[in-house]
Amino acid sequence: MLRIFAITIAVLTAIVAVTALAIVVVRILRQIRRRRRETLAAGPRRALLAFAADNGEEGSFGLVAIPEDAWKAAEPGALGLLGKLRGEAHLALVSVFLRRGIARRALGDLRSRSRVRRARAAQVLGDLELRQAVPELCRLLTDRHAEVRVVAVRALGRIGDPVAAWRLIASLDQPDPVPSLLATHTLVQFGPEAEVTLSAALDHPEARVRAVCLEALGLLGATGALDRVARVLREDAMLDVRVAAATNLGRLGTRGAVEPLTQALTATRPTALRAAAARALGDLGAPSAVEALVALLHDEHYRVAHEAAHALRRLGPRGRRALQDVLDVDRADALDRGAGAHAQPSSAAAHAREALALAAIAAETPADLVAAG
Amino acid sequence: MSVEVVRQILYAADSAIFAYFIALNSSYLVLIVLAGFEFGRHLRRSSFAGADDMFRSPLTLPVTVIVPAHNEGPGIVPSVQAMTSLRYPRYEVVVVDDGSSDDTFEQLREHFDLVEVPRVVPGEVPYTSQVLSVHVARANPETLTVVRKTNGGKSDALNVGINLARHPLVCMVDADSVLDPDALLSVAKPFGDDPLRVAACGGVVRIANGCKVVGGRVVDVRMPRRWLVRVQVVEYLRAFLMGRTGWSRLGGLVVISGAFGVFRRDLVVKIGGMAHDTVGEDAELVVRLHHYLRERGEDYRVIFAAEPVSWSEAPSSLRVLGRQRRRWHRGIAEILSKHRRMVLNPRYGRIGLLALPYYVAFELLAPFIELAALVLVPLGLWADAINLDFAWRFALVAYGYGLLVTLVSLFIEEISFHRYPRWTDLLRGVVAAIIENFGYRQILAVWQVAGAAHAWRGRPAVWGVMQRQGFETIPADADALAGAGSRV
Repeated sequence: MLRIFAITIAVLTAIVAVTALAIVVVRILRQIRRRRRETLAAGPRRALLAFAADNGEEGSFGLVAIPEDAWKAAEPGALGLLGKLRGEAHLALVSVFLRRGIARRALGDLRSRSRVRRARAAQVLGDLELRQAVPELCRLLTDRHAEVRVVAVRALGRIGDPVAAWRLIASLDQPDPVPSLLATHTLVQFGPEAEVTLSAALDHPEARVRAVCLEALGLLGATGALDRVARVLREDAMLDVRVAAATNLGRLGTRGAVEPLTQALTATRPTALRAAAARALGDLGAPSAVEALVALLHDEHYRVAHEAAHALRRLGPRGRRALQDVLDVDRADALDRGAGAHAQPSSAAAHAREALALAAIAAETPADLVAAG
Repeated sequence: MSVEVVRQILYAADSAIFAYFIALNSSYLVLIVLAGFEFGRHLRRSSFAGADDMFRSPLTLPVTVIVPAHNEGPGIVPSVQAMTSLRYPRYEVVVVDDGSSDDTFEQLREHFDLVEVPRVVPGEVPYTSQVLSVHVARANPETLTVVRKTNGGKSDALNVGINLARHPLVCMVDADSVLDPDALLSVAKPFGDDPLRVAACGGVVRIANGCKVVGGRVVDVRMPRRWLVRVQVVEYLRAFLMGRTGWSRLGGLVVISGAFGVFRRDLVVKIGGMAHDTVGEDAELVVRLHHYLRERGEDYRVIFAAEPVSWSEAPSSLRVLGRQRRRWHRGIAEILSKHRRMVLNPRYGRIGLLALPYYVAFELLAPFIELAALVLVPLGLWADAINLDFAWRFALVAYGYGLLVTLVSLFIEEISFHRYPRWTDLLRGVVAAIIENFGYRQILAVWQVAGAAHAWRGRPAVWGVMQRQGFETIPADADALAGAGSRV
């Protein structure tokens, strides 16, 4: 037993010493590597900044001629710069990347066995906004690894080619699809040319697809899709989809959205839908909704009353006047009951007071007066 | 004959304790190695992680950062400053002043020009105290809300914050925390990447003592001046950073620190918010979340983000450290007792079969075994059950293995995040890993046993006062003048 202990102690001592030494070696190596990279990257970095300052008119040959090891050290910075440049300078820097063969290499890497390489390649192609890469990136939408699919979707969004819209929508109808918010953002990046595809997809049997398309249509401000979105709000079987329809009718900002949204406030509708419709009416800025929203201030559900009060606040002077009326009526009722000026306000009055206080702060008026009132 | 039996029993007990130490340290080592793989995975993906895209996207899920504060006067302003200037597209900060008797609220009111708003506080999750007033920052009412309430404890304060939260994600942060600028992006990102499954994400907490804080940001990471805190630095590294990352990799994370964690608000509301009946409310919430989601057969994930971080002030005196550790261990005992039906229950998958049994065997019982070793090994020596050669070798192997585990943590930290750039700090870390074994672990075990005993005896929980020193804080403009000269 003691012999086993002795051997164990010797082995432990050796491992502890090696680990301590390894910590020191790792630090030294990292510092050497960092200094080497800094030295290598210094020249290319100066050249890149001069190139960007010249709006990409001068220095592209110099950038293409940079030795491979120095370029590799500077490449993360160059990719970062790519995201910051616009117009001619961006195109000129992209051309440098293309002439250095980076896009070709990335296209090849999209078929690599390593998922990290595939994802990195997709990221680079997205940064380069290379339209030729769209078919290959669309292929990655069905990659077996979720992280690769996610990067492919982001890259497609950067490129912004609406041709990919349908492939992206179709990829949502799979097990373990890409996140809805990411898909929505990418579809928005495709621009108004994707509206027809998005509108058509509102009839898709998968609820998630319909919800994503509604969000994208709302963010694109696709007023042409108003009737279809209103129909989804009225008829869709899934509550989440109807809530998305209500929210995005508010984003469309057209008068035609008021009527379907007001109907969605009816007490028989689900709470989440009524709260979303109230918020959307505030987003629309439709003064004709004031009466319906005031009625909601008395709602037993906190979210509905809260959203209605803040929608009224956002409606401007008419909405705020309505909120003040609710407060005044509540105070008068309290006085009639003999409860006095410091009586506990009703739930509707409490919501109105909160919204008015925030409105007062926004208008840089002393909120204390409103709060105290 | 009976003396021989006692000797045999003592020998067996000492051997069992030895085996326990080996198993305990081996389990740490496995978790640390798993964490090492996870860090490698994380770093290899940093170039395409998409944090910038998340920051730019108008659809990134907004977050409510809830900061419960009780007598946090010395550090509250830099903390809230940092929290209101995080790199995140849309979020609000809700500070809940839980009946402070110091100038916590006055500091906030003066610095952020607070103005009272008659907010309606819903009761979606229960709270027992009375909300006195709600305030917002005049310049930015959408971003900062401060609630004043009567004292009701941390859980109660968090529940008030959850009720007032307007966003789908809630991030719970301690008031003495200083967050890295990208910290919120980092812990909220998994919700964007996998929104259907991610239920909660914990962030790593590191120790801020000794670090230089400028404008509410940790700009210069240093080892603390006191050895007591230095030992806690390596302990946090091993147990929190590495241990929790390892558990996250195994799909068995049951502790998300109350100092920094993000949860889906709808789920927190569904399970009733923070529990009032435990001092380990942060871990209890996670265990209850597992309980709820496993019972419904949901496909979900509770994960841990290792970088960037939240920085917190660690206790710098034995008295405060003792209170903290008693409370932590009491929390573990309460949670394991409350959710005992989950332990070894296949219905709860890895949580029931792996994580919770591990917590019983290697977290709850560890200080008892440590103290037992301190008694039984000398007793064995006295009774001649073991000889001196056995005893010192026993101690050397047990503590040597512990030292190795901590050094491996330091090694992985050096490879991956290397947050301590100075050679002297590296050396101090190694020395702290050694001295941790002499006195610190043993006194910790005493406090932990006391904490567990308090839980089992049902003694009422008392929230100790943490004497905040505040950080070494320098205004941003002053630093611009002095910074270059002050750095090595």
